[in-house]
Amino acid sequence: MKKIIKNIAVKKYVLPVSLVFLSLFLIIRCTDYPIDEDGLLITERAECYVSNFELLGTDFQTVRTKAPEIDTVAQTIHVEVFYGTDLKNLYPQFSLITDAKLDPKITGKVDFSDIENPKQWTVVSGNRQVRKTYTVFIAVQEISQN
Amino acid sequence: MKNIFFNICKLIFLAVIIVSCEETEYSIPELKPGLKNDCIKHSLGPNVLGQNIEFAYAMALKPEEGILLKAEVEASIAGAEGTYLENKSYYTNGSGINVGVEVGEASVSSGNKTTVTFNKDTCAATLRYFYKVPEEARGKMITFKFSATANNGESVSYEMGPYKVREMDMILDLVATNEEACYISISDMAVYNAAEAAEKPDNIDLVYLYRAIPGISFNHALVSPSAESQYLPEVVLPSNVNNKSKVIKAWNVQDQQLARLHYGVFVDDSDIEQIDFSNAADFAINMKKESGLWVETEDGKYRAYIFINKVKVDDSSEEMTLSLKRLQVK
Repeated sequence: MKKIIKNIAVKKYVLPVSLVFLSLFLIIRCTDYPIDEDGLLITERAECYVSNFELLGTDFQTVRTKAPEIDTVAQTIHVEVFYGTDLKNLYPQFSLITDAKLDPKITGKVDFSDIENPKQWTVVSGNRQVRKTYTVFIAVQEISQN
Repeated sequence: MKNIFFNICKLIFLAVIIVSCEETEYSIPELKPGLKNDCIKHSLGPNVLGQNIEFAYAMALKPEEGILLKAEVEASIAGAEGTYLENKSYYTNGSGINVGVEVGEASVSSGNKTTVTFNKDTCAATLRYFYKVPEEARGKMITFKFSATANNGESVSYEMGPYKVREMDMILDLVATNEEACYISISDMAVYNAAEAAEKPDNIDLVYLYRAIPGISFNHALVSPSAESQYLPEVVLPSNVNNKSKVIKAWNVQDQQLARLHYGVFVDDSDIEQIDFSNAADFAINMKKESGLWVETEDGKYRAYIFINKVKVDDSSEEMTLSLKRLQVK
């Protein structure tokens, strides 16, 4: 008889206790990692830089002649592209530090043909507090004079 | 009480195992009487004008019931010249090679029907049917009715389709040579030399050239006649050849019908229609074997996908072998 009473008591408290834990878990989870306007987690990371850069042509093949020069202090990216690259239709690809995001977003082809006015993108840190604007300089491979 | 229950369970379990493990002896399935037939479509991809749609039609009856007399295919639209039903039945030998055995007269086409009359004492055969898509079928649906007749009076039939014939045209293996036959016409689906190009300047959409320029990768190029001179080095265009075609480079679009390689990729009418040529370039240099090019003519009448089958450079010449699918969009 004692055993049965004990079982009923356990069952009586299981549900409320579970609900309290679930609520606590949800509150803690939502408090620690809020999300931004893009639905991405805002974290504690303040690091803010571009770790790699790629440039693809319409055929989704690289148009770079060599590795890009990324200066995280000057916030510049220098890329040399093959002679004859269609600069109006290129797909840039940025690799960023963890949790960072890019502004504006890249949604398709980008026109890099106005070499005098290089394109700019801003890297936003994981905590969304640090913003660093990178300038992408494109140079077209030149015909060798030798 | 508990023990009795468990013992009964054990017995039932054992009985189930014994029954389920009983061997059933295999026997060859009994063939149902009568003439039977079946058909499969061999060819894959879009059905394009001038190309073959291929089927394999199988028919059989028991040897004691009779022999095959006739096999026939009726297409809803008569096939172009070159449509035929094979008079050989194939089997695969030990080396994996298909070996044909003649079982009937060469096929006869009359109107929409193509017929093979058997001349061998055979009760089973698989005949291949090649339907060459005619101009009348462009953009239409086509169906096929395969039928077989045996000498016991029995006949069977098998319907295939409907299949949509595409609007596009296709041509294979045009050869463009540097500084000779180097003027490519999308509208004519042909390659011309300078004299021919001068006679029809409005039809010239691209120029093929090969240049080995130090320090850069120019190599094989397909360039619009109106492109900047840096992309047409040392090229003297025939008079009035000045169309501004739009081009977009492509890679990994090895259309199976153009490449005749088994990549399982097919460029269809809708693919060509959906390409966005706004802001497209008018030159494409450093074109490689198995690369491709989407093209739109200056008047916007035609769009095409060009596949580079082969490029060649040797002491005597430089050339490019290309195949294309073309769609009239205006």
